[in-house]
Amino acid sequence: MPAENEYSLQDLADLTEVTPRTIRYYVAQGLLSSPEGAGPGTRYSEGHLVRLRLIRQLQREHLPLAEIRARIAGLDDEAITELLEAPTAAGVNESAVDYIRAVLGGGVAPGQMQAPAPMPGPSLLRRMALPDMPAAAAPDAPSTAPSSIPDRSQWDRISLAPDIELHIRRPLSRLQNKRVDRLLAIARQLLEEDQS
Amino acid sequence: MTFNARTDRRLIRPTHRSLRFILAEITAPASRREHGRPPVNLAFVIDRSGSMSGDKLRLAKQAVQEAIARLHTDDRFAVVVYDDQIDLVVPTTRATPEARREALDQLARIDARGSTNLGGGWLHGCEQVALALSEEGVNRCLLLTDGLANVGIIDHAELARHAAELRMRVVSTSTFGVGDDFDEVLLQGMASAGGGHFYYIASAATIRDHITSEVGETLDVVARGVTLEVVTPDGIRVEALSTQPTLQRGDRTEITLGDLTSEETVSIVLRLEFPYGQIGDRLGAVLSIGDRDGAFREDSVKLAWEYAVDRENDAQERDRAVDRAVAAIFAARARQEAVGRNRRGEFDGARHVVKATARRIRGYAGRDQELRRILAELENEVEVMAAPMMEMSRKQAYYESANVLGSRDHAGSAVKARPGPDRQ
Repeated sequence: MPAENEYSLQDLADLTEVTPRTIRYYVAQGLLSSPEGAGPGTRYSEGHLVRLRLIRQLQREHLPLAEIRARIAGLDDEAITELLEAPTAAGVNESAVDYIRAVLGGGVAPGQMQAPAPMPGPSLLRRMALPDMPAAAAPDAPSTAPSSIPDRSQWDRISLAPDIELHIRRPLSRLQNKRVDRLLAIARQLLEEDQS
Repeated sequence: MTFNARTDRRLIRPTHRSLRFILAEITAPASRREHGRPPVNLAFVIDRSGSMSGDKLRLAKQAVQEAIARLHTDDRFAVVVYDDQIDLVVPTTRATPEARREALDQLARIDARGSTNLGGGWLHGCEQVALALSEEGVNRCLLLTDGLANVGIIDHAELARHAAELRMRVVSTSTFGVGDDFDEVLLQGMASAGGGHFYYIASAATIRDHITSEVGETLDVVARGVTLEVVTPDGIRVEALSTQPTLQRGDRTEITLGDLTSEETVSIVLRLEFPYGQIGDRLGAVLSIGDRDGAFREDSVKLAWEYAVDRENDAQERDRAVDRAVAAIFAARARQEAVGRNRRGEFDGARHVVKATARRIRGYAGRDQELRRILAELENEVEVMAAPMMEMSRKQAYYESANVLGSRDHAGSAVKARPGPDRQ
């Protein structure tokens, strides 16, 4: 285990989901200060960690690297931490997966608390695919359409192996989505073992 | 890698609102392959609705099979097909030999049926890409369709907005429209907002070429999330005339160029509207280029304009390279507008749009050969646009214009830097 608040390059990479190569690039570019030590003994500090997290956050807001450098230049670790905890630009922090699931009806809209049965707004719902509905009726379905979940749901068919499929009725809650992802990973692993 | 910017005229008028143009040309660095390329993460989304039956679906499947065969073990791919129902044929997987073999089997079973939930199919493809984002490579969803969005989300603006939101979350979208019945405005809009490319495939026989070209580009990307930033003093209005997404924040205008391939050249035309001012005063703009991976090392260019009396303004030299780029962009915009009017049966309106643009270009073409060529082409099209056109001709005209606006070549591929005398 590393000493308190000290990280190896790989630790830092794991914690921030930035590749070691990119971290070295940031050091070379002066976005991060040079770490202590050399070779496998190189140690990165808490300051490196918060800076790296802020760089990632600003990149998700699509700021060019030059702009990011200008913003973080001369700031101490405390100021960096403050920036990191400040609210960011309009929901870009939300991951692509969360965004898509919110649109497809399986997740939480940006900035909302997790509700027992999260659902997108009514205008979006009217346009969602309804499995048993004639094609022409779906786009202009009247706003008085019944609003219970089964009416808005959509079946996804996921093929796991040539003769095995999993059917999922969306929308699912975020938790259910995560469980399904796990289920798929386990199922695929199992089926691959079967084949080998 | 090069970046330069120039303006058509250096002088501006003190008592009129002057319009001046900037041509910015960006060439991405050549790829350095000694460490191999970063892994890509793709989803192929194929329309399987009834109209795709026969050659179109067969050739689309074949194109995807060939594209998958080019991937390395570190790459990822997913396959989604949709009609009114969405089938996740291959959930996101590493492109191991087993996974690729499995995908070929799965693809072989797909046949055509039903109507088209384009939005749902595409979003599910994006979801597969998003589930395993590549840190260093390209994350892209490729949508191939011959039809309209008529089930699910069908609103153009909404689909384009989702494409832009996903681009900001590093999932880009490229679109392929096959035949006569797809909606090119929708597909171009999704690709532009989504940071990818739009392809018109007139004949099913060329589906493979187009998919191959797009996948080839994702494998050849050297700079991701490239943006051009323009900083101007208060009072100058900046507008990008190309189709790339533009974001304005106070005195900053940011144009998203997306992912650039090795030695790809992109030309962006900006229009600046200047406020009134005092003779002798100068105003400047700083243009800089940046990207997510630092491939561009923050190149920047400064341009300046000076207020001068009308007589000097009238006599000033013009930079013809900028004029040509501006004329080409306005001609392309006029063609797209005219195609839309032609389709709606507004033939007089179509004629008017093309003629008015031709008149403006004639105003500054002078004896410049290239400008006269652009002008002659446009004038020849006046009567074509003012009579009923074949749908295929409309699509072709729209597509050629989309390529001009998006800085792509006539086939829809990236424009590569021409080797100059100083290069090996």
